[in-house]
Amino acid sequence: MAPSFPAVAAGTVNDMTEENSAATTLTSAPPPTQDAPVVLEQVTKRYGRGRRSVTALDGVSLSFAAGSFTAVLGVSGSGKSTLLQCAAGLERSSSGSVRLCGKELSRLSQRKQAVLRRQRVGFVFQELNLLPELTVAENIALPLRLDRRPAGRADIEHAASRVGLSGGQLRRRPAELSGGQQQRVAIARALITRPDVIFADEPTGALDPHTADAVLRLLRDAADGTTVVIVTHDPQVTRFCDRAVFLYAGRVDRELPDPEPAMVARLIQQLGDRAAGERG
Amino acid sequence: MGGWMLSGIRRGTGPLIGTVVASLAAATLTVAAISTAAAATQAPAGRLASASVVVAGSTNVSVTLGTGQNAQQESLPLPAYRGVPASLGQRLARVPGAASAVGESGFPDGTVGPGDVDLVAVTAKPGISPDVLAGRIRAALHGGQGYTIATGAARGDVANLNAAIERSNGQDLGGALIAPIVLISLFVLASTTALAVNLRRRRFALLRAIGATRGQVRRAILTELAVCGAVGGALGWLPGAALGARCVRALAAHEMLPTGSAAWLSPWLLAIACGASALVAWLSGQVAARRGSRTPPAQALRETAAERKWPNPVRVALGLLAVGGTGTLMVFTLGQKSAAGQLALAFPLLLACMLAVALLGPLLVAFTAWLARPAVALDGAPARLALAAIAAQPRRAASAVIPVALAVAMVGTVYFADTSIEHATSSQASSAVTADDVLTGADLTAATLRQVRALPGVRAAAGVTPISAAVTDPDLDQGYGAAVTGGPLGRLLDLGVTSGSVTAPRPGQIAVSALEAGSSALNVHTASRITVYLPDGTPYRATVSAIYSRSLALGDLLIPASVAAGHTGTPPGYSQVLVSGGTAAELARFAAGHPGLRVTIRSVANAQSAAATAQNSFANDLILGVLGLLSAVALVNTLVVTTVERRRVLRLLGRVGATRGQVAAVFGWQAVFVAGTGLVAGAAAGVVTLLTVTRSVTGSWAPFIPLAPAVGLVALVAALTAGAVMIPFGLMSRREPTLASG
Repeated sequence: MAPSFPAVAAGTVNDMTEENSAATTLTSAPPPTQDAPVVLEQVTKRYGRGRRSVTALDGVSLSFAAGSFTAVLGVSGSGKSTLLQCAAGLERSSSGSVRLCGKELSRLSQRKQAVLRRQRVGFVFQELNLLPELTVAENIALPLRLDRRPAGRADIEHAASRVGLSGGQLRRRPAELSGGQQQRVAIARALITRPDVIFADEPTGALDPHTADAVLRLLRDAADGTTVVIVTHDPQVTRFCDRAVFLYAGRVDRELPDPEPAMVARLIQQLGDRAAGERG
Repeated sequence: MGGWMLSGIRRGTGPLIGTVVASLAAATLTVAAISTAAAATQAPAGRLASASVVVAGSTNVSVTLGTGQNAQQESLPLPAYRGVPASLGQRLARVPGAASAVGESGFPDGTVGPGDVDLVAVTAKPGISPDVLAGRIRAALHGGQGYTIATGAARGDVANLNAAIERSNGQDLGGALIAPIVLISLFVLASTTALAVNLRRRRFALLRAIGATRGQVRRAILTELAVCGAVGGALGWLPGAALGARCVRALAAHEMLPTGSAAWLSPWLLAIACGASALVAWLSGQVAARRGSRTPPAQALRETAAERKWPNPVRVALGLLAVGGTGTLMVFTLGQKSAAGQLALAFPLLLACMLAVALLGPLLVAFTAWLARPAVALDGAPARLALAAIAAQPRRAASAVIPVALAVAMVGTVYFADTSIEHATSSQASSAVTADDVLTGADLTAATLRQVRALPGVRAAAGVTPISAAVTDPDLDQGYGAAVTGGPLGRLLDLGVTSGSVTAPRPGQIAVSALEAGSSALNVHTASRITVYLPDGTPYRATVSAIYSRSLALGDLLIPASVAAGHTGTPPGYSQVLVSGGTAAELARFAAGHPGLRVTIRSVANAQSAAATAQNSFANDLILGVLGLLSAVALVNTLVVTTVERRRVLRLLGRVGATRGQVAAVFGWQAVFVAGTGLVAGAAAGVVTLLTVTRSVTGSWAPFIPLAPAVGLVALVAALTAGAVMIPFGLMSRREPTLASG
């Protein structure tokens, strides 16, 4: 991961999108809601040191309210994945504060962060989501097993049925399932601990539009009351979201409440053009 | 809990199979070594089977080494009977419970002075147990001090004195092999496990992302390895037991174990094999497990896991430390003069060299890749691709190069150290004997020698008999040398006397080789006083009259024949008479007049040191087999795994239009690079040890490396490397439909 970001002053960002000013409800970050399950304050993440260092996140402040379903969008290299990794405690931020489920991550040891993840957080990734050597049922039960909690057959079947997996599929290996079915297994695994937050990194990136649609609908329905943060570059994902956050060059560029895919697509196009313009 | 931990094994993923195979090899060798070291080695009582109790003069020589608090009693089995007065028979016959007591002497090995017998065989009266009778005999002999009183199975060692010596030789060898096997297995397994863990970094990253703690991941890795080790151990049990049985038979054939010895084939070996292999795998996986558990969980999200290009500075520092340690050990080893001292240090020296190569491997690979850039011009795209992959990931390439280097270093060092010593022995033997003729035969007595000396033209003649004597150099060890008659030895032998007299030692004198006289062995100079113990245990206190350098032929000690007579367990006489001057016709006529005598060309005068050399060769072959097997397993294991892991590259190349031939060339170039770098690095690491061992044993810096085996070793390593890369490639490429043929 070595993106090169053009250094952009935050103030110059807004003039380009005046035609969309009706849709642009926000141009500067609001004060984060302190009691939200995920709160980032002035989070900066730099990779490398000295002159060759790369700033992936640059003073990002965001909060994700309980039960919200948010898409984080941006062009390649805008810092979306880094945002998710820092928010989930998979990466340590260089500066700033990340509070996950009320816990300041920088004050937690690696071990406590791991325990927090398996008890309160669910993950869905684009690929390498499942351990190929475990059966579907074992993959679903993995977070419970890691937490030394009993993983009853009924719990697993219940989690599986919420994402539309049948009992017969539980004994299969991931390789025997289609891509869409594999993502359902990943969602079931993310749900089994009844987490406060689910982080998803391009969960539909490898799926056809129809299957992607079904998987997102499922996530939306199953994650009833759970905060969901999805990192994506696919505007269609925002159909299921109640909020869209756009990143550009490691900063929050703007936010949209109740985003519409067409509008999101246009904004992404603009961000892409801008990046191309700055490079050229 | 255990379910997810062992899930990797259930699917038998490739890298773990490597761990099982390596454990299997290690367990096979460990079981073989243990079953040899613990073999039942009781010699049959044979002719003494009907005796209830056998009494002989103590069959051991015991010496107190050191003084004061450090004083330590050491003992060594004797090759000849001490002899007891013939009257002891009558005395023992009077012990209550004894039915009869018969003195025996003259059995092969048993020739003692007049009026003495080798041993007394006592038969118990009916109803008296041998042990009770032995107790009474011990009491009658005032505690039995100075006697060996044997009953039951122990009678075998008294019946056949060589049994005890052979047993200690063979068991020492078996026991000595266990530590190197375990250490090298650790080495081999460490590289295999590191690879197995490294290839599954993303799997561990996923576990970490969904909430596994570092400890859980580490335990999962170690549990997996321990189970693989135990499985390998179980699989290695039967082959190991079979190998152990073979090994015991071979050792017995080489007189390194008593005839009729049987390997220890207890079911406990299965438990030992499983336990030891699991432990070794567990230990070897410590570093890998730590690294695996430290995989940042964020890596689960990345498409291509970026691997660090350069090795950890700690690794480089440790590598440089290993280089320093190699130098220090080299100096230390050169200071050791006793054979035992050298052997003891040669192995750590080899390990230090190998450790240096293993730790600095990535730097070595990067450097070689830089050197190999001209090769790109030769073969265009495939060579460029192969080299780019290596230069981009020197650490990964190093994991393939290291086992090749280790195989070359280990096998080459042991084999060529042996050929160097053998070569030096035979060349010294031919240059050390300067006599014109050598008489051999069964009846070379003092009378024969007198007659030879009287022959016309004979300028000098001397009788030579091989002899062993226990020496404290500084531990109590069996030393080998010759008993020589008086006379101007300088006309018959060119021993390279460095100080003292070139005439034969007189009674009260002894000549010692420079190696044996060295500061780490006997630590003596001319005119020093030393005590050696003759085959029957008689101490011989003597002044060092000469120190000589050519010891590989005649041995390390020269003792006057008159002193040795009657203490060697053999009839008086010589095994060879060296003659200078005289005519061939005269000698031939003389030999014709004495049935059994032959005139031979100059030859090795010391059959006993030749036998010791043969035993050493056999031991070396055994060690060679062990090292060869382990390093071949490591080499093939690692290369197969690293090749299979490049499946994605193969697929990608196929998609962008590379032909099968081009992709084969990429893999082929990589194999060439790995084999070439490994051979050079291994040779460099091996040469350090080889030179040191050669220097300390033969006194010369020039090792003897016969061409054919050297070429054979290179060819074998190249073939194994090529096979381990190209066979998996062939299998993979057949399953890649995108690869265009051509």
